[in-house]
Amino acid sequence: MNNKVHKPKAKSYQLTVGWLYPELMSTYGDRGNIIVLQKRCEWRGINVKILPINQVTNNQQLKTIDLLFGGGAQDREQEIVINDLYKKKKAIKDLIERDLPALFVCGAPQLMGKYYEPAVGKRIEGLGIFDMVSKHPGINKPRLIGNIVAETLIIPGGVKLSHPWGDINRHIRIVGFENHGGRTYLGKDAKPFAKVIKGFGNNGEDGTEGVVYKNAIGCYFHGPLLPKNPVIADYLIKTALKVKYKTKVNLELLDDSLEQKAQNAILKKLKIYNE
Amino acid sequence: MNIALTLLGKLLSFLFQSLNLGNGSTWPGHIALKINKHFIREVLSNSNIKIILIAGTNGKTTTSKLIRTGLEKSGKTVIQNQSGANLLNGIASTLISNSNINSVILSGTKNLLKQDFAIFEIDENTLPLILNEINPDYLLLLNLFRDQLDRYGEVNTIANNWKNAIEKLSQKTKLILNADDPQVAYLGLQSNVISNEVRDPQKISPHSTRRNDNILYFGLQTSQFSNNKLQHAADSGYCPKCGEKLIFNAIAFSHLGDWHCKKCGLKRPEIKSEKFSIYPLPGLYNKYNVMAAKLVLKIIGLTDEQIEDAFENFEPAFGRQEIIKYKNKNIQIFLSKNPTSFNQSYQTIQELGGSHLLLVLNDRIPDGRDISWIWDTDLSEINKFRNIVISGDRVYDMALRLKYEFEGQKPKVKSQNYTFARLSASNSKVKTYEDLNEAIDEGLKSLDENETLFILPTYSAMLEVRKILTGKKIL
Repeated sequence: MNNKVHKPKAKSYQLTVGWLYPELMSTYGDRGNIIVLQKRCEWRGINVKILPINQVTNNQQLKTIDLLFGGGAQDREQEIVINDLYKKKKAIKDLIERDLPALFVCGAPQLMGKYYEPAVGKRIEGLGIFDMVSKHPGINKPRLIGNIVAETLIIPGGVKLSHPWGDINRHIRIVGFENHGGRTYLGKDAKPFAKVIKGFGNNGEDGTEGVVYKNAIGCYFHGPLLPKNPVIADYLIKTALKVKYKTKVNLELLDDSLEQKAQNAILKKLKIYNE
Repeated sequence: MNIALTLLGKLLSFLFQSLNLGNGSTWPGHIALKINKHFIREVLSNSNIKIILIAGTNGKTTTSKLIRTGLEKSGKTVIQNQSGANLLNGIASTLISNSNINSVILSGTKNLLKQDFAIFEIDENTLPLILNEINPDYLLLLNLFRDQLDRYGEVNTIANNWKNAIEKLSQKTKLILNADDPQVAYLGLQSNVISNEVRDPQKISPHSTRRNDNILYFGLQTSQFSNNKLQHAADSGYCPKCGEKLIFNAIAFSHLGDWHCKKCGLKRPEIKSEKFSIYPLPGLYNKYNVMAAKLVLKIIGLTDEQIEDAFENFEPAFGRQEIIKYKNKNIQIFLSKNPTSFNQSYQTIQELGGSHLLLVLNDRIPDGRDISWIWDTDLSEINKFRNIVISGDRVYDMALRLKYEFEGQKPKVKSQNYTFARLSASNSKVKTYEDLNEAIDEGLKSLDENETLFILPTYSAMLEVRKILTGKKIL
């Protein structure tokens, strides 16, 4: 292990961000997550390439990915997506097993679990990356909709950040919006990503939100997630650099005062105040 | 009984207004429907009024006003529900406030409505419910875009509900559809397909054959299209019949364009090729509203000259490109309530050469509580605006959206002192104000006499802006 601390210089680092089906899975402003990842790299002189993953992407291209992102899809689009995802199952699983950072939001985590049972129609087998199942309780059952606040839980072996807000591993607050019909239940091998403070989370029952396996994060937070939660964005970037360059890279600090204001506005709206 | 309910409703309206409790526009209808849930159906069936229903995500209010203007200029009398009062109670209230009790009492007829036409704007989700109660003479479906997913749900779901509701319509309804919107056009193409497949004349239901003559399409000429690339906010890039990715030869905006499916052969229906020279409002999206209104008026029997005449001096509906003078400065409001309407407003303002923007983002029920859609908007060349002010309940979310757009145009920015740090500084061209009054004043500060401040508000923000500018509450 190289202990030298590298400061990223212009063009010295390059990350490829894989974006699952941008045309099919971009229902809730998910593009915002990609924009934030890209800009937060570029402001630090890290070059970014966005690789849209779709029906024509081959496994060789998938191997070049350093960070993987997937967003939400409408039901009909979800069907098209999953049929293509089966063909990429092994390649994607390999990436996750290699400790690659990944973020799956809204509908995407449902496809990465063991299965998803829609309100109508038959059960959809997932890729089985996360030990969890998702079920829609029926067309007449209410969707879980609203602003949501949660506190992150420890990610075993996760990288440390020097962001002034703190670290994912130090229970930082995240804010977002959720809108999902499906309820997700974690299996015994799965760890939740966060603990719900206000809102529904995975199923509105057990107070868990999202799921973590290795460096892959699944969650119901859109809004999108990353603009108001820059710590998560930096965590993913730093992890990607660590995995790719096998060295510790300190990310330069960015001015996140506007992000802080946007986050505080949600906390205030939900009557949660910083102690 | 309906006459008694109408009387009661009128009395309530009078009370609301004289006690200054607002105009209480939907209460009389609400109460009438509580007592007789088929109030609307019964009142309408006893009258000879022709009914025009208009639904779609964007353009309802402007198109209604265009049709109304055309009808009134040709001497017809028209009743219309207030924009925003587009659920059942709003329609019942419209009937109550426009009914003529005197003539009923004097002549003993059951006909409460003496007008020639009723134009009703209908909420996308409510259309199926309304069609249970109203059998329209004309049903105009404008478009389907992603809007308020927390309230309306997915575009596909709405399209499916519309399909089921339309199948139940009787022969008298003329269906007027947007040829350029795949999901909307498919509502008409579907019934074509059914009757073409059934060759045996005995098997053709009178329903499906009749429908073919009663389906009309409007759209733009491909020469009017601006793009050839599907925009990010497009919602219906896939074949509504077989699910294959659609091919677009040309695109107007979002997913409106000249489309076809390679796999199943479904394609944009033919529209009569005719040019129209009178487009009273700028913006490609308004060309659709004009073509839709024009087709309805032609079917009703107006001539081209009559229609052009009527459209020539058209005044925009409130908040839809409405121009207001305030403190001796020019302001124009472009209601921007979802990614497509925002993109179209933004693009039109750029075409008009605007350089002063005020963006107001609220997240109340009429706006949709989920504001993630702002990340689906296209803000290209935002740095060309001289002065940008942001306000609304979610002012900082909108500021963040702009922060990342500004930076997007500077690929190499030194870290730490990157330029958007100026956002909070007073010399920046982007300023944020939680208070809307202050935001408007700031927007006007650097405005020259011949310049315009362009305001892009969400729905509730638009009402707030108008209240400040005109001193009056509208809804």
